Amino acid sequence: MLTAFVRAFRTPDLRKKILFAMGIMALFRLGSVIPTPGVSYKAVQDCISNNSDTGLYSLINLFSGGALLKLSVFALGIMPYITASIIVQLLTVVIPRFEALKKEGQSGTARLTQYTRYLTIGLAILQSTGLIALARQPGQLFTGCTNDIIYPNIGIFGIIVMVLTMTAGTSVIMWLGELITDRGVGNGMSLLIFTSIAAGFPTSLWAIKIERGWGLFLVIVAAGLVIVALVVFVEQAQRRIPVQYAKRMIGRRQYGGSSTYIPLKVNQAGVIPVIFASSLLYLPALAVNLASRTNPPGWATWIQRYLVRGDHPIYMATYFGLIVFFTYFYVAITFNPTEVSDNMKKYGGFIPGIRAGRPTAEYLDYVLSRITLPGALYLGAISLIPLIALGLFHANQNFPFGGTAILIIVGVGLETVKQIESQLQQRNYEGFLR
Amino acid sequence: MTETRGSTAATPERGRPAAKKPLPARISLFYRQVMAELRKVIWPTRKELVTYTTVVIAFVLVVIAYVTGLDFAFSKAILAIFG
Repeated sequence: MLTAFVRAFRTPDLRKKILFAMGIMALFRLGSVIPTPGVSYKAVQDCISNNSDTGLYSLINLFSGGALLKLSVFALGIMPYITASIIVQLLTVVIPRFEALKKEGQSGTARLTQYTRYLTIGLAILQSTGLIALARQPGQLFTGCTNDIIYPNIGIFGIIVMVLTMTAGTSVIMWLGELITDRGVGNGMSLLIFTSIAAGFPTSLWAIKIERGWGLFLVIVAAGLVIVALVVFVEQAQRRIPVQYAKRMIGRRQYGGSSTYIPLKVNQAGVIPVIFASSLLYLPALAVNLASRTNPPGWATWIQRYLVRGDHPIYMATYFGLIVFFTYFYVAITFNPTEVSDNMKKYGGFIPGIRAGRPTAEYLDYVLSRITLPGALYLGAISLIPLIALGLFHANQNFPFGGTAILIIVGVGLETVKQIESQLQQRNYEGFLR
Repeated sequence: MTETRGSTAATPERGRPAAKKPLPARISLFYRQVMAELRKVIWPTRKELVTYTTVVIAFVLVVIAYVTGLDFAFSKAILAIFG
């Protein structure tokens, strides 16, 4: 399969797609280093080099590829878009109109995507305002670094320009992601998160080597490889539900008569639940930021104590619970047993021993809800590894093989490689026919 | 084939039995059903696992190298402009 990479570049069509995706990734990284107007680039650099303890923003900073702390044009990253799509997807369960739109098919989905975009803009305005307000107080964004990150005399107009720039940056990221999905390879949004995490990877790994020496460094690399293998192992595990197609004549041709299977993955939801859970846990931290600093209300200190610091058991339990919830939730919205069983019935397929129609849908639901439990527990366990390792090694929060980061990296890598592979097979197949 | 939810239902897809069992019994039933399904899962073979792991690691390393290269070049450029 390694030769597939070389072959992928020899296929003109696929080469174009890969190069397109790489170009977009380059644009994305470029936007992550360009500072927003009004930000003192020198002050930020000083603060970053002097101080590695970024406290509560480390995970968000990881997701934005270091752009958040640099206060760059793309500082907010894809986070607002992710949060918006969680909210919209949750609302499809609550609001009847959204549910109707979802059932409407393609045009309804397009409308929902449109709502998600509007909500993203709203969230981006909120988050950029919060971020800028925080950065204007010296020593808040970087604890112990009292440089003026934002020029103090820019005035209200300057701040409006900054908010507009960051919001515009977020919408550009949204567009870039959709471009990758349409014309490149893989899923744009996850590929961009992947890029962001990959950007912080070498630095934080090297930081461990410098702080702790070769021993721990090698242990961590080895542990990382084991985790990669484990993630691949579970991602590839399938429960295959046999499907038999009845033979039938349409005109003078015979169709069907074949037997296939429906692959139900143990982890049908992929990495989405982890992304959802961690971006949802960011919201309380954001709320604390908006509360007053000097005289914080009771709920703010409570959140600060239990839900912001990653090493507290309550935080871990919440994180784990959210991941399990979102795994079931995401499986429920992406895999519709009724639809699958209807499709099977339409084309004359059936599961041996189970009647077509409602019993089939119920059987699929039965298997899916049971097979998802180990999948959900696995996702939660892998994501907790960084938090537990944090306690064991006293390593910093940016522990690069941290579950969330590695799950996203491996999951997206696997998905993208598989997509390239399948497109390659398509090409070669066509090539034979011509 | 699969364990049933209640003694009255012949197959699991007949729906819930009329009378609910106590919670611990239902949890242990669910657990056994999960285990039964897990046994039917096709796990990847050793060869498959090795191939996929190698390919994913190679892919990830290539992307990390690419992104690191980009970042290095861009931060040099930005430093030259703003620094």
